[in-house]
Amino acid sequence: MASSSAFPFGVFASPPPPRDPGFRLVDVTASSGIHFHHNNGAYGGKLLPETLGAGCAFLDYDRDGWQDILLVNGADWPGHKPEHKPGQPVEPSTLKLYRNNRNGTFSDVTRSAGLDLEMYGMGVAVGDYDNDGYPDILITCVGQNRLFKNTGKGTFIDVTKSSGLGGRQALSTSALWFDFDRDGLLDLFVCNYVKWSPEHDVFCSRDGKDKSYCTPEAYRGETCWLFHNRGNGTFEDVTATSGIFDSSSKSLGVAMLDYDHDAWPDLLVTNDTQPNKLYRNQRNGTFKDIAVDAGIAFSAEGRARAGMGVDVADFDNSGTPGVAITNFDNEMTGLYRLSPGGNYVDVAIQSGVGIPSKDKLGFGCVFLDADLDGSLDLAVVNGHIDDTVRNVSGVGYAQPPQLFLNSGHGTFVDVAADVGGGFSQPKVGRGLAYGDFDRDGDLDLLIATNHGPAYLYRNDQTAGNRSIRFRLVGTKSNRDAIGATVRIFHDGSTTPSQSRMVKSGSSYLSQSELPITFGLGKQDKIARLLIEWPNGRTEEYKNLAAGRCYDCVEGKGITALSGY
Amino acid sequence: MSSSQSSQPAFGARPLHRSPTPGLFLGLIVTLAAVIVYSIYSTRQISGLRELQSNLVDRNRKDSLQLLRIQNDLNLLALAMRDMLDNDEPYPLTAWSAQFDRVRTDLDDALRREQTVAPVNRTPDQEQYLQNSVAQFWDAADRTFALARGPDQDEARTQIRISLRARQEALSTAVSRLLVQNNESEEQAAQRIAEIYNRVQRQVYLFFTATLIAILFTSLYLIRSNRRLFAQLETLSAQRSELAQKLISTQESTLRHISRELHDEFGQILTAVGAMLTRAGNQAPEGSPLRADLREVCEIAQTTLDKVRTLSQALHPVMLEETGLESTLDWYLPVVERQAGIDVFYVKSGHPFPVNGSAAIHVYRVVQEALNNLTRHSEANEAWVRLRFQPQALEVEVEDHGKGFDARATHQGIGLVAMRERADLLSGTLEFSHPSSNGSGTLVRLTIPREKLEA
Repeated sequence: MASSSAFPFGVFASPPPPRDPGFRLVDVTASSGIHFHHNNGAYGGKLLPETLGAGCAFLDYDRDGWQDILLVNGADWPGHKPEHKPGQPVEPSTLKLYRNNRNGTFSDVTRSAGLDLEMYGMGVAVGDYDNDGYPDILITCVGQNRLFKNTGKGTFIDVTKSSGLGGRQALSTSALWFDFDRDGLLDLFVCNYVKWSPEHDVFCSRDGKDKSYCTPEAYRGETCWLFHNRGNGTFEDVTATSGIFDSSSKSLGVAMLDYDHDAWPDLLVTNDTQPNKLYRNQRNGTFKDIAVDAGIAFSAEGRARAGMGVDVADFDNSGTPGVAITNFDNEMTGLYRLSPGGNYVDVAIQSGVGIPSKDKLGFGCVFLDADLDGSLDLAVVNGHIDDTVRNVSGVGYAQPPQLFLNSGHGTFVDVAADVGGGFSQPKVGRGLAYGDFDRDGDLDLLIATNHGPAYLYRNDQTAGNRSIRFRLVGTKSNRDAIGATVRIFHDGSTTPSQSRMVKSGSSYLSQSELPITFGLGKQDKIARLLIEWPNGRTEEYKNLAAGRCYDCVEGKGITALSGY
Repeated sequence: MSSSQSSQPAFGARPLHRSPTPGLFLGLIVTLAAVIVYSIYSTRQISGLRELQSNLVDRNRKDSLQLLRIQNDLNLLALAMRDMLDNDEPYPLTAWSAQFDRVRTDLDDALRREQTVAPVNRTPDQEQYLQNSVAQFWDAADRTFALARGPDQDEARTQIRISLRARQEALSTAVSRLLVQNNESEEQAAQRIAEIYNRVQRQVYLFFTATLIAILFTSLYLIRSNRRLFAQLETLSAQRSELAQKLISTQESTLRHISRELHDEFGQILTAVGAMLTRAGNQAPEGSPLRADLREVCEIAQTTLDKVRTLSQALHPVMLEETGLESTLDWYLPVVERQAGIDVFYVKSGHPFPVNGSAAIHVYRVVQEALNNLTRHSEANEAWVRLRFQPQALEVEVEDHGKGFDARATHQGIGLVAMRERADLLSGTLEFSHPSSNGSGTLVRLTIPREKLEA
């Protein structure tokens, strides 16, 4: 940070010496057996959804304790399938499910899992909505969203219609599972972007002749949806009755948080060119948007930015939920801290995140402790929506992802170029998720790109930092324990040194793994662990050794695994 | 005598005009008054501007911002109503109530703020109309949502179409009108501000011109009175010089007359008395007391004759006219030595040239006065007198190493004044200096151009 701020002009400054971030990222995409190419269906029609996809997820669909990977795919537009070349196998563009082989490699199990279905997919939300122990999958789509129920036998069945989610056409984006009424059943929140269909695509043009991708202003907004889980495998649309309904929203990202510390999950929705929404849970089945009062609806200049991805986490270890929101280029990523008065204050510039993100169009973003030093870092993937953008504004179409390392003192510095693995190579990044797929205690990164490959980066710690992981299982609460808050304390301290929430959603169209990871630096244990379960119950455990993962079952204690 | 009694000064000098001070004072007062008046004027104009700015322009802008906020809220409501009428959502119309509530909160706040910053020219009717329109809109909205909660969604939609929309549009038009009004009054204010600036600019020019004129007149007056003052001084100086020279020449002619009378008349008489006494004595018998007495009287007459001659010489050396300056000094300096009891070292140099009598008397008097001063005040025992015949001038120096004196002292004796006047009469210079660096001794140097001496 010091070197970059002291020499703001690269021309005059000698290149900064490579930093040692304390870990390396290794591109293991090909070696691990992930061969995926996203298809956005672009044929020249410049249809709006082509620029948006797609998402990715870490999930343990077979419950073997090893994180599997799901990659969402788009599709060819009806009537615009590329001509089949004779002699080449027909490769339908479907989403892909990769099973973790527990040796650093993955197997494509899409077909055997019954997921080799063509749909114009956008995002993914993973949650065990029927509490059977096996994570189910919601794929948001252009058109009809799809809900896949995990049978527990390695296969999924499409329950869209029977669950009551059918019969809806929209351009859905991010989604998340959460238990807003704390009845122990995961409810579903789905973001919708704008009112769009191929038939009603608007002609936009930069040069007056050729069609180009429209900005969202060309389309009318669309409300997000909230579905209440009835507990019998069906969902009830409570969008209107819960106060979520807003026909002006153009939502792309959603994250859950406990804004007011009442143990009831609130929602933060990022809107493109519309004010962001902070839906405060009123504990009676309804929500109230307080984004304007909380200072997160607009930028500091009072403008509604092009909010894309979002993540919420206690990045300053204050015990309060901080927020990162990626925006359009020239708008900077917003990094918000919650003031004691309940106002979000954008600290992007002073923290060092603002300026480096100014020329980036950010999408997926996650808080993760990449170097396991005890402070949450921020990973952001970038990439423009317009492949001709370089001719217009000089910023790239493919843009380098960023990894802002948290100093622990309120400042961040981008170390993407120092972590190796080609991580900082420009990409048309969209989805981003983290998960410890190799169970070595640190967090690996999964990146989905638009009309390009997916990337899996393995995190290898080099500084010897340690971590402690927790896998929460709800019994009274929802089985995934989504909404549970975990706090750890070091010796003698009454204020938690770190806190995390088990959460679905966040980032952009993506979902990270559900287990919680705390970086501990060189510490070999934690003094105290406090779990606040989604239904309000708290549990406390003492003296837990670092370097392993713990299974925490609500009301039944914790079990240490031999490793992570 | 008559001239000295009159109010006019003597010697026909021009009358002294009154002091320029009151005039200058007046100029200063006029200038200061102009500055004060202008300061007051500018302060007034600036405060007027500020008032205009804060009361009208700023207030207007703040109000316009709130009106824009209200207009934006009304647009949001219009969009929501459009979506409600489109009927392409699977939700009942009541779903929009949260959206309406959000807008209502913001609209209420904007209206409240707008009221506090409403421009002064807002009429109560306008204010009332706005409030009534808003109240009517929300009243209609509440009724519409109440209707929408019932079974008849279509009736609610009809209400939106015919009532709610109309009210929103009326409200929007009213707000637009207020915005236009604000813009107009802002334009008027801008015009008034421009006028004030123009006026101030004109006044600045006026003020500067007036001040410049005042300064110009005062300066001209100052220059004129200065010039007059100097002319008067010059005249006074010339008159004084003339007077002094007249005094000197009167004195010289008087002295010359007395000296000549003494020499010629009394000399003749005493010589005759002496000759007769000698003759009478010769006639008296040898050794008789009469003869002795006559001889004694004869000696007394001779002594008196000598004294008369000496006095005559002292009053006006006839030698000057007869034998010239050089030999007069040759005679005079030993006399001073003898009379004053000091040693005089006399040096002559250069090629002597003749000096006419009327000029020589002044040179002689200067030397005489210098030596007089020397013997009287310097406490010196020695004096140096140098006579230098230079090609273009005659230079005479009288120097002593006594205690010295300050020639610049304000009070100068008549002797020194006379010395200067005599030098002036001959267009020469008279300098006083100290021959030694410690300030002791006196060196008097008289320099006369040669042509003044030979004329």
